[in-house]
This record gives sequence, C-alpha cells and structure tokens, in this order.
Amino acid sequence: MVEDSVIISARNVDFYYGDFQALKNINIDILRDEVTAMIGPSGCGKSTFLKLLNRMNDFVPGARLSGEIFIGGESIYAPEADPVVIRRRVGMVFQRPNPFAKSIYDNICYGPRLVGVKKPKELDELTEKALRAAALWEEVKDKLGKSALELSGGQQQRVCIARALALEPDILLMDEPTSALDPIATAKVEEWIKDSGLSIVIVTHNMQQAARISDKTAYFFLGELIEFGPTKELFTRPKEVKTENYITGRFG
Amino acid sequence: MLEARKGHTRQNRRRRERAVLLFIRLTAVLALAVMASILLYLLINGLPAINLAFLTEFPRDSMQKGGVLPAILGTVVLALGALLTAIPLGFGAAVYLAEYARPGVLVSFIRLGVSNLAGVPSVVFGLFGLSLFVTTFGFGRSILSGSLTLGLLILPTVTASAEEALRQTPQSFREAALALGASRWQAIRQVVLPAALPGMLTGSILALGRAAGETAPIMFTAAAAYTLAPPDSIFREVMALSTHIYNLATNSTHIEETRPQQFGAALVLLVLVLGLSMFAIVIRAKLRRGRKW
Ligand SMILES: Nc1ncnc2c1ncn2[C@@H]1O[C@H](COP(=O)(O)OP(=O)(O)OP(=O)(O)O)[C@@H](O)[C@H]1O
Ligand SMILES: [Mg+2]
Repeated sequence: MVEDSVIISARNVDFYYGDFQALKNINIDILRDEVTAMIGPSGCGKSTFLKLLNRMNDFVPGARLSGEIFIGGESIYAPEADPVVIRRRVGMVFQRPNPFAKSIYDNICYGPRLVGVKKPKELDELTEKALRAAALWEEVKDKLGKSALELSGGQQQRVCIARALALEPDILLMDEPTSALDPIATAKVEEWIKDSGLSIVIVTHNMQQAARISDKTAYFFLGELIEFGPTKELFTRPKEVKTENYITGRFG
Repeated sequence: MLEARKGHTRQNRRRRERAVLLFIRLTAVLALAVMASILLYLLINGLPAINLAFLTEFPRDSMQKGGVLPAILGTVVLALGALLTAIPLGFGAAVYLAEYARPGVLVSFIRLGVSNLAGVPSVVFGLFGLSLFVTTFGFGRSILSGSLTLGLLILPTVTASAEEALRQTPQSFREAALALGASRWQAIRQVVLPAALPGMLTGSILALGRAAGETAPIMFTAAAAYTLAPPDSIFREVMALSTHIYNLATNSTHIEETRPQQFGAALVLLVLVLGLSMFAIVIRAKLRRGRKW
C-alpha cells in the first residue's frame, strides 16, 4: 500500500564528478502525484541529484555513481535499463527556457516524433493536449507555426513544459524553472505546477516558492540530504538545526 | 594638493586619448586608401576592356580579341567542385571535433593538423595535387583534380568555421533534445545542425571566395592555357580567370597588346570573389537577425 505510492526511491546513493564527491549517501522516497521541492545553498548537489533521475549525468565524463535509484520499482542504473526509455518516462524542464529554433508546433512534436508518431492528426491532438496542459493553448493556438524563440520568456518556458508533457511522462523534473522569469510569468508557472496533479520534483532557490507549491521539501547541504518531510512541517518545525539555520537565514 | 593633481592627470589623459584616436583614424584611412587605389587602378585599366562580348565570348586572335567566357565558367566550376569536396569532409570533421571528441591527445593532434594545413602555401597544395590526383590517381589535368586540390586547400578554413558555428549553438539545445530521449546523433542531426548550418555555410562561402582566386594549385592540376571545349566532363581541362591572367601577362606572344584583357579579367575575378563574400555576409546578417542566442 505504502510501497505503491512511492514513485522514486534512492538507496545509498553516492555520486562523484571525478574525485569530487557531490552526493553522499542519499536515501529518499518520493511519492506519486506530489510536488517535491529540493532546496539548499548553491553547490549542495540539488541539480546533480535531479539529473541522476533521468540519467542526464551519463554525459558527464568521469562521473560515477554507487547505490541504486528506483523509478516505479525499476532500478534505472541496472545494466539492462535503457537511458533513452527512462528519459521518455521522466521529463525535464531546465533553468533557462530552451525551446529549439523551430516552430512552436515542431517543438511540441519533437518527443512524439522521436518515438515514431507520424500521423498529422495524432500530432495535432498531442500538441493541443500538451499546450492545454501547460496552460498555453489559448495564447498560442493561432500561431503554432511561428518560431518558439519569438515568444516571451514565460511563454517559452511553458513551451518547454508542454514539450516535456507531450511524451506523457510519469514524472517531471524541473531545475529552477522560474529563475529566469519575471514575477508574472513565475506566477503562471507556479500555478501550473500546483494544479497539474503530476509527480513533480522541482529544484528551487526560492524558499517562499517551495513553501507555496510543494507537498514535501528536501533540504540538501554539502552533498547530504539533511532533512526531508512535509513542506509545512519542515518550514515551521524543522527537526535539524542546519535546516532551521538555512530557512531562517542564519546560514553562512 | 591632490585635487590639483587630479585635474592635471585628467588633462594629460585627454590629450593622450586624443593622440591615440588620431593615430587610429590615420591608420584606418591609410588602409582604406590602399584598397581604394588598387580598386581604382583595376577599374581604370580593366573597365574599358569589359563589354558584353568580353563576358560571353571565347578568346580569339591569340587572345587579343574576344572574351573570357571559358575562364569565367572554369573558375565557377572549379570553385563549386572545391566546395563539394571540402563540405562533406570539413563538416564531418567539425561535427566530430565539436560534438564527439573528448579533449585528449588525438583531438589536439587533429586541431594542430588543421591549423597547420591552413598555413601551407598554396603552391605546395598544387604540387601535392599534381602528384596525387593528376599522376597517381590518373585523373590527369582536369576539373576533378583541380577541384579536389582546391577543396583540400580550403578544407582547414571550412572545418574551423564549421566547428566554430557548432560551438556557438547553445548547449541547452543539446540538453533539451537528449532529455526528450534523443540519441546523441539524433540531437545533432535534428536540432544542432539545423541551427548551426547557416553559420557553417557562410564560413564555407567565404572560403570559396579564396579558392576562386587561387592560381598556383590549379595551374598544376586543372588549367589549360586555351581550350575551346566546354567544361562538360569532370575529366576535362578548363581555363580559369586567375591562370588566364597569369598566362597573358607572362608567357603569351602579345603581352603588351593584351594588357586590357588582363586587367579586364582581373576585374571580373575581383567582382566574382567580392560578390561571393558579399553574398555570405548578407545571408549571415539576415540569419543573425532571426535568432536570439
Ligand atoms: N559537470 C561537473 N563536473 C564537476 N563538478 C561538477 C559538475 N557539475 C557540478 N559539479 C559540482 O558538484 C557540486 C554540486 O553541483 P550542483 O550543480 O548539483 O549544485 P546545485 O545545488 O544545483 O547548485 P546551484 O543552486 O548553484 O544550482 C558543486 O560543487 C559543483 O561544483
Ligand atoms: Mg543547480
């Protein structure tokens, strides 16, 4: 019962960039359909951990992992695991909006086309669904053929969200998705995260943001997971002194 | 006291600033003047020779009459052949260097090779082309041999500018494609290359301008002093503007009498080369406007 609702779990995860140990013995269980925020000072390993979840660290030369990470019960670093399949099940949205230099339509269709969807009707439907899910449909439905680079920053980021959603991933990873956006665009993206009902893991520097949108919060410090629990509790009654120091601004 | 000094140094600084500015302006004007006088000299001497017949007819009467059509055609064909040779090789090497190669001995070695190749005098390429393509491969003096030789000549420039264009495409494009489950090659082919291609092509066209003007390499491998045959097979010799000028000016029977033809041909060559560069610059400017990285 409890096991069923766990979508991501990490067991004894150590991670190294060459000789440098970026993550130390991480153990965590992240629940399905919840928004999980990762906070902590710069360089503490939040992005590193996030990128382990869709194996984007595979591209870093000299990187090394020990321990295990399970998604939906399957070990994603097992020899038989296919990183490409994992990346299709675990979508990612980056810090800076990074739409391709293509039309909005072709941006959204990129993932579906990769998995072999070719019928125009099917692609049209997927595009509308993904753009509606990203709360962008009404704004762009008349200019799907225009270059995505001509949109505003907030719209671009929602194109990126829609592009990830078009593959209907089980999980969405977001690495500081609003840090390059203005307050209005930020509010739109936050609103979307709260209402999406998806399993989302979001890295943020902004503690108010974590408090506003997440169900659970994880606090990282120098490569260690210091505390993980319901957001309300973590912000009002932190169990660890280090966490308290950080959220009250007494940190470093 | 310090206040006074502050005022003093400021005056000094201004004076020095003005002197430097004057010097820089002077050098710019000088450089421009040199270029302008070359152009003017060519125009004065070459323009009288140029008319429709000059551009559309074959040479006659020991080159004293008629036009330079076969040389224009030959130059264009050789330049295009060079591009067809250099682009597949150069773009391939650039993709390897920019996208796949991990920094190491091999890559440093390749880069060193590429940049050294760019410094090799063109006459050496000519000799190399002569022994490899003309003799060893048995292509003879032909469009094929000349194109391959010119292609090798511009290969380093094409490779380097293509690599630069690839490096300028944002890393975030690659990340985005990979995170959507693209393979490395899919990310390159579907996202990186389309974004980089305009820049890669611009660099190639600029290199092409250089190839079109070269003399030594094609003198060894492709150029005929005079031929009536149209360039209808890649195994034919062709005339070219650069070698035509050289031949008229150095070993024709009527060196003085063909001066106008020499200058006319030089002017045509210059316009061709400048035209290519302008073309490249215009498309680059067009493409810059449309993108935001
Ligand atoms: N590709 C890499 N190679 C080597 N070291 C790296 C690499 N990426 C990150 N690191 C190091 O790993 C540590 C964790 O980096 P990470 O990017 O995960 O931090 P972060 O918590 O996301 O920080 P920020 O809030 O600034 O984004 C840092 O000390 C960083 O210097
Ligand atoms: Mg980070």
